[in-house]
Amino acid sequence: MLQITEVGKTFHPLTVNERVALRGVNLHLDEGDFVTIIGSNGAGKSTLLNVVAGRHMIDQGSVVIDGEDVSKQPEYKRARNVSRVFQDPMAGTAPHLTIEENLAIAVARGRGGGLRRAVTHARREIFRTELKTLELGLEHRLTTLVGMLSGGQRQALSLLMATFVEPRILLLDEHTAALDPSRAELISRLTTEAVARHRLTALMVTHNMNQALSMGNRLIMMHDGEIVLEAVGEHKKSLTAQHLLDEFSKIKGAQLTDRTLLQG
Amino acid sequence: MIIALELGFLFAIMALGVYLTYRVLDFPDLTVDGSFTTGASVAAVMMVNGVDPVLASVCAVVAGMLAGTVTGLLHTAGRINPLLAGILTQIALYSVNLRIMGRANVPLLRETTVFTPLREAGLIGTWVSVGVMVLLALAVMGLLDWFLGTDMGVAMRATGDNEEMARSQGIATDRVKIFGLAISNGLVAGCGALVAQFTGFADISMGIGLIVAGLASVIVGQAIFGSRTVAISTFAVVLGSVIYRGVIQVALNVGLNPNDMKLISAGLVVVALVLPRWEPVRKWRTARSNRRISDEADLVDSVAGSVN
Repeated sequence: MLQITEVGKTFHPLTVNERVALRGVNLHLDEGDFVTIIGSNGAGKSTLLNVVAGRHMIDQGSVVIDGEDVSKQPEYKRARNVSRVFQDPMAGTAPHLTIEENLAIAVARGRGGGLRRAVTHARREIFRTELKTLELGLEHRLTTLVGMLSGGQRQALSLLMATFVEPRILLLDEHTAALDPSRAELISRLTTEAVARHRLTALMVTHNMNQALSMGNRLIMMHDGEIVLEAVGEHKKSLTAQHLLDEFSKIKGAQLTDRTLLQG
Repeated sequence: MIIALELGFLFAIMALGVYLTYRVLDFPDLTVDGSFTTGASVAAVMMVNGVDPVLASVCAVVAGMLAGTVTGLLHTAGRINPLLAGILTQIALYSVNLRIMGRANVPLLRETTVFTPLREAGLIGTWVSVGVMVLLALAVMGLLDWFLGTDMGVAMRATGDNEEMARSQGIATDRVKIFGLAISNGLVAGCGALVAQFTGFADISMGIGLIVAGLASVIVGQAIFGSRTVAISTFAVVLGSVIYRGVIQVALNVGLNPNDMKLISAGLVVVALVLPRWEPVRKWRTARSNRRISDEADLVDSVAGSVN
């Protein structure tokens, strides 16, 4: 479904600010795979999602979605197959548009904007049915401006907008990190439900170890632009937060010895 | 005061164009000063050469759309800041407009214009001509309302509201911006063509400072009538245009010089931007309505946006 092959990305190349974000990353996802990604800050997790989404163009390697090489495709074209939920709850919705207008954009995704009415009676019925699955009562507030909603409500709406046209790939970039624990819990549950219901292939970046362990069927750990640990199926299920923390400190320790050697 | 109503509703077409860029696309477009005159020039020269006034006006709209497209390309393909992109096109259009007209002023007094039937019947300056202007303005307003309710229109609004989100939802935001600028300047140029026919001449300086009149209409109108929905917003813009012309007319009636009008216009915009942020007014507005997303924040944003 998704083949990331030897992907490299460097920011600000040939300047003092040069930073290698991805070093020849390989990752292959089958249909229905749900991969959680952990790693320290600057490990390249978000960059990995951004190169799949097309927000950053890659320097080398290729990104293939469903057999089609999309490495050079602009972001808006990839949106036909790839949808995203951002960390910032404000980022995934348009605040001065109503709930139904936001949903209309998601419904028209990839079909290009035609001159048909964005909000029709038929579409409204679909919106109501879909909003009901969020259990937030938003189905009664179709004409409310999205800017009036809370962060949790907006994030739930973003998730719905990202999933209900059944994208090939769903990218989640720490999408529960900015929410309070109970809202984060709700969004996690809704994510699991949506992924299962639409049988989505998903990549989820998280800083929450327990979330990384409890969700999805695969887990990868990234460090310094590389995938340093991969766990699938039973192996993933056997992992505990302590395992992951030990792995973390092993990598950190290794790095420390490298530095000490260099300095010596 | 009839003249203020006539001009208010006539210029509302331009103000609706400004609304589309400034409010919907969040793109303060200064092309307007140039494209208004472009519309007037194209229509005037064509009519002098015997072209049917309706066809000439349509060509003016097309010319304005081209001007908007240029600004759009400068901004999207050329990655030039919106304000600068607009200024560049505006300055370039000054020369283009002189080329089109061949001189600084083209009189239309003996030509047949779209307003000739009204003029010959002696109805200019009466409630009949006001009615015609109202119908024109409402027709354009209705078209714009309709467009902004379509998939493409909602995509345009999303692009101006949250570009990141729009792109992630598969909207080709660059194309949408170019298209929006084209429609906006098409309206502005069409308005220029009508104004030239109404006043009986096209002049190279007729568009100078017009963006301020457009902004005044949008900001004053929405400060008074609100912007909860597209329909309310566009209606507010039309009424804002009428209020603006009314203020100008009052200023003229109390004996101010026509040359002072730019100062009055700029002052009006400043008042409309600052007043809603003034504490007593804010309290009064909050008390009056808690339902709306705060317009004050909007205005603060837009000021900050224009400064950037």
